[in-house]
Amino acid sequence: MSGKRITRREFLKTTAVAPVAGAIGCCCTGSTSVASTPGPAAAGGTATVQSISRTSRVVLVRDSKAVLELRKFNGAVVQKMLDDAVAALFGVNDPASGWKKIVGPGDTVGIKTNSWSSLPTGKEVEEAIRRRVLEAGVPAEKLAMADWGVLKNPIFQNATVLINARPARAHYWAGMGSCLKNYIQFVPKPSEYHTDACADLAAIWSLPPVKGRTKLNILVMLTPQYHNIGPRGFSEKYLWPYGGLIVGQDVVAVDSTGYRIIQAKRLEVFGEDRPLETSAHHISLADTRHNLGRSDPKDIELIKIGWAEGVLV
Amino acid sequence: MAVPQQGILERLGRLLPQSAQGWTPGASDDLYDPETIFSYIDGAGEVYRAYNFRHLLSRRYDKKDNPEIIVDLFDMGSSADAFGVNTMDLTGEDPGIGQGGTYKDGLLSFWRDRYFVSVSAESETAAARAACLELGRRIAAAIGKDGARPALLEALPPGLAPETAVGYLHSPVILNRHYFVHAENVLNLGPDVELVLARMGERGRAGALLIVKYPTAQAASKALASFTAALLPGSANAPGAAAGTGKRGAVRLTANMFAAVLGADSDESVRIVLDRVVEQVKKGGIE
Repeated sequence: MSGKRITRREFLKTTAVAPVAGAIGCCCTGSTSVASTPGPAAAGGTATVQSISRTSRVVLVRDSKAVLELRKFNGAVVQKMLDDAVAALFGVNDPASGWKKIVGPGDTVGIKTNSWSSLPTGKEVEEAIRRRVLEAGVPAEKLAMADWGVLKNPIFQNATVLINARPARAHYWAGMGSCLKNYIQFVPKPSEYHTDACADLAAIWSLPPVKGRTKLNILVMLTPQYHNIGPRGFSEKYLWPYGGLIVGQDVVAVDSTGYRIIQAKRLEVFGEDRPLETSAHHISLADTRHNLGRSDPKDIELIKIGWAEGVLV
Repeated sequence: MAVPQQGILERLGRLLPQSAQGWTPGASDDLYDPETIFSYIDGAGEVYRAYNFRHLLSRRYDKKDNPEIIVDLFDMGSSADAFGVNTMDLTGEDPGIGQGGTYKDGLLSFWRDRYFVSVSAESETAAARAACLELGRRIAAAIGKDGARPALLEALPPGLAPETAVGYLHSPVILNRHYFVHAENVLNLGPDVELVLARMGERGRAGALLIVKYPTAQAASKALASFTAALLPGSANAPGAAAGTGKRGAVRLTANMFAAVLGADSDESVRIVLDRVVEQVKKGGIE
């Protein structure tokens, strides 16, 4: 934890502004980075370091038909969205080639989902991922999907590849429920990472159970929640049918993009730049303090696919 | 489930009704403690841990073609902490239920005795709102008696801040959520330290009064020194005398209690507020 002291003015500023961090140049060395220019296919099925790039590629895919009604999704549409996103992420024409850069027959794969009852990842997204992982040649017995209990799950313990998927929502304690936050179950005592609005969640990503294993992050923006009331923090009133998925290998860039959309939605609804109840500074700190990835939009190559109305970013 | 857990489940379960407005319990009740709460409400469980909660009973109520309603009944262990956790958010309309009840957007919250209660509808409809309020009324009745507010509140000068701008807490993280003081725990807050916070003016724009009580005089002295070094550099620290600089100030109230003002409009405002606290403490015989 940094010993830097901040003033009340700085604290309020952090709370009020978008999550963008200062420029970080080309210091990112995260093993999950995809070059902005498509690189060659990685051998052996798993894409590790493709290149050291100044920018992280993130794909935002949207479809107006993805959301049937709040929290109910069209599985076929979601599958196509995910496929399109993976193909665009890796700069290939067919999704299967993209998936082969993530997983292969020799891999053991853990899909870290989120089962929070009010707004889970969703079975449509989960099945879309599982289907493609199996089609890429991963044996069913070497594939597991879980939220709680991952530390004791033998597949996750031996995973060569992790895929991280969760919905985006305003969060009472962390500012935003993000892909970064989705790995809190990989530590025995989550409360150790809850101080200062979960500022150092990124530190989890350097722990042995996860370090260097995450090949794909999917921030589910099908019906994100842009506002929060109370610690339990759920109300359908604050969901909206955005119909999107944000997909990337740089988890910080994925979360930063999602956060920008949440902020833009709040501006649209509230008519003012109303800060989240809690600063989501864990996203920018993942960049500036932990060098896990890139949070500044100018360091993110954002590819937008599909439905453009109300895209907000 | 172990017998003691079953006993707690039954004891808390008796406070919840079997039906309200056609809503009836769905899945079986769930019981959580400070270690398991994160499996239910994620990191926000820290709020209840910061108030030393003992157990949480969660029950879901269903009614065909209507939103699910979730009742969370927290045994906070003391009425002071039930009061305190309720001060985390006092916005919303007053439904006249329990103590400090508020309702907004399908969420009813209140405290009574040693319990904090949250009743939330997954989406707000007229029927769900009526059911939430009915559930709340019946739970408040089942609890049966009001709880005492923290005695430290008596040190607060009347009229200084509206009721909705007063907080009671033990944790520096909770303090900074209400009103940012310092990134470090310069007040040495902890489970055995009580703090009353009053945000003055609209949204605390006229500053904040903090009244802090420690278990010993030694702990209070150490905390006052830490606070003064961090936020009142160069000021005197004479016990019993207001010491301040730059629209901030602090004063020792008793051996184990002091008050501080931050972010006031002027040095004069600091002095006036601290004088009122000193007077209030003398008048109230607070120790």
